Amino acid sequence: MPCAGKLVAMIRLENVTKIYGSETVAVRDASFDIPKSQFVFLVGPSGSGKSTLLRLINRQEQPERGDVWVAGRNINDLPASRVPFLRRSMGNVFQDYKLLLNKTVFENVAFSLEVIGKPRHVIERQVPAVLDLVGLADKQGRFPEQLSGGEQQRVSIARAFVNRPLILLADEPTGNLDPTTSEGIMSLLDRINETGTTVVMATHDHRVVNSMRRRVIQMDHGVIVRDQERGVYE
Amino acid sequence: MFSRISYALRETWASFRRNLTLTAAAILTSAVSLLLVGTTFLIQRAFENLLVQWRGDVEMIVFVRSDASAEQIGLIDSVLRSSPTIIDVNKLLYLNKTESYEEAKRIFVGDPVTLSLLTPESIPTQFKVVPLSDDPQLVRSLSDQYRTLPGVEAVALAEDEFQVISTLSNFIRVVTLVMSLVLLAVAVGLIWNTIRTAMFARRREIEVMKLVGATNWFIRVPFMLEGLLQGLLGGVVSCGGLWALNSAWTNGVAGFKPGTGISSLVVPSSYLTSVMFILLGIGAVVGAVGSAIAATRFLDV
Repeated sequence: MPCAGKLVAMIRLENVTKIYGSETVAVRDASFDIPKSQFVFLVGPSGSGKSTLLRLINRQEQPERGDVWVAGRNINDLPASRVPFLRRSMGNVFQDYKLLLNKTVFENVAFSLEVIGKPRHVIERQVPAVLDLVGLADKQGRFPEQLSGGEQQRVSIARAFVNRPLILLADEPTGNLDPTTSEGIMSLLDRINETGTTVVMATHDHRVVNSMRRRVIQMDHGVIVRDQERGVYE
Repeated sequence: MFSRISYALRETWASFRRNLTLTAAAILTSAVSLLLVGTTFLIQRAFENLLVQWRGDVEMIVFVRSDASAEQIGLIDSVLRSSPTIIDVNKLLYLNKTESYEEAKRIFVGDPVTLSLLTPESIPTQFKVVPLSDDPQLVRSLSDQYRTLPGVEAVALAEDEFQVISTLSNFIRVVTLVMSLVLLAVAVGLIWNTIRTAMFARRREIEVMKLVGATNWFIRVPFMLEGLLQGLLGGVVSCGGLWALNSAWTNGVAGFKPGTGISSLVVPSSYLTSVMFILLGIGAVVGAVGSAIAATRFLDV
């Protein structure tokens, strides 16, 4: 059983080191606590270890040293068969959206409920509701290629959020979008955060970070060099 | 639960149609290999018809006239038992009329004319003799001696009757078995490859499925079903082939002269049916195994 101290944090890293191959240190001795409902930016140049941190949190990667705790549970000793259930408590958003091109907007969002075994009537209730939330209620029948980049990212956010996850992990969600569209995406993420969802967003978009004024964890060469409440990019 | 089953079936069918060429190749290969497996079974069984009376190292059969008295039979038995150094008396076996008739039904399965001449009353009974000695001359001289006993109709020696057939049947059995095993391995490989291709074509979908928390089994099952279906369809095709082959063969040998032995080389249709079920079973297992290996290996995308 987790001790009481661990329960406070939604995500907790303890001296985590991740090494790729034999010598590429992607993350070195990283520690931090992220409380429930917090909005956190991971910033730093490409290759500084931001994405690796996200992949450690949803257990696409496992650290060489240190522990990762999610919702009070050490996910390093989680058996592989339980990993899918960990992931159901998280949504993932990516720079390249990762939408399925042969499925419509509705089907893309429905797919994530379908594959975790949600019954049809639940899907038919939740998908339109979440598409309404992201502002795509009138484009349910479109295919991804018929949408703008910003709209595609909204679909992917809808897919990540439709299951009401505890945590939303976003890896450069505005990386392919122009400033105005990015603003729209950020206000959407902000609204999702206000529902109580913890949001961790990796980015090197100065404008976005500076306008939001949230907690900033800055990485450089795999090391956390700054951890600041209501920070800016610098 | 229902939504999961319908999901798995829909995905299986969609993937099946997408890779039509590879799927056809996998089905055909498994069909050919299964056909060979089936043929091996049938050949073995057909030869057994000829060899059934010599089963268990029997090398001499003393046929007793159907009208022989109990005393005559007793005399033959005691004469046989009087040479315990040459004959294995523990394995000495007497088939009465009913048992001999049952055996004849198998020997003359493809020769109904001869069989109709025999009845359980008119059939000769027989002593099956397993010699201890390896010396064929000794066994032969013994057989000459038995021929003169009262009530003995004939003495048959394995040497004269079946050595060639036995060697031939062993050879054919080994060759077809090895070939079918090799082809089965090829079939597993091809099914494995179609599943790998199917999974590669859908790697993006699988990645999304893993990220939103689909279990590995949920992802794996449609692929396994696809492989199972390929193996099973291969089994169905091979059953059709085997049936056609067997019908052609049975019709073909029916024209042979009775007594040449060739006409005994047929199998009863009940045996053919059970072989077909075995082929369907092997096909399903081969398909499921091939695809399970592929699905497990390539799930870490």
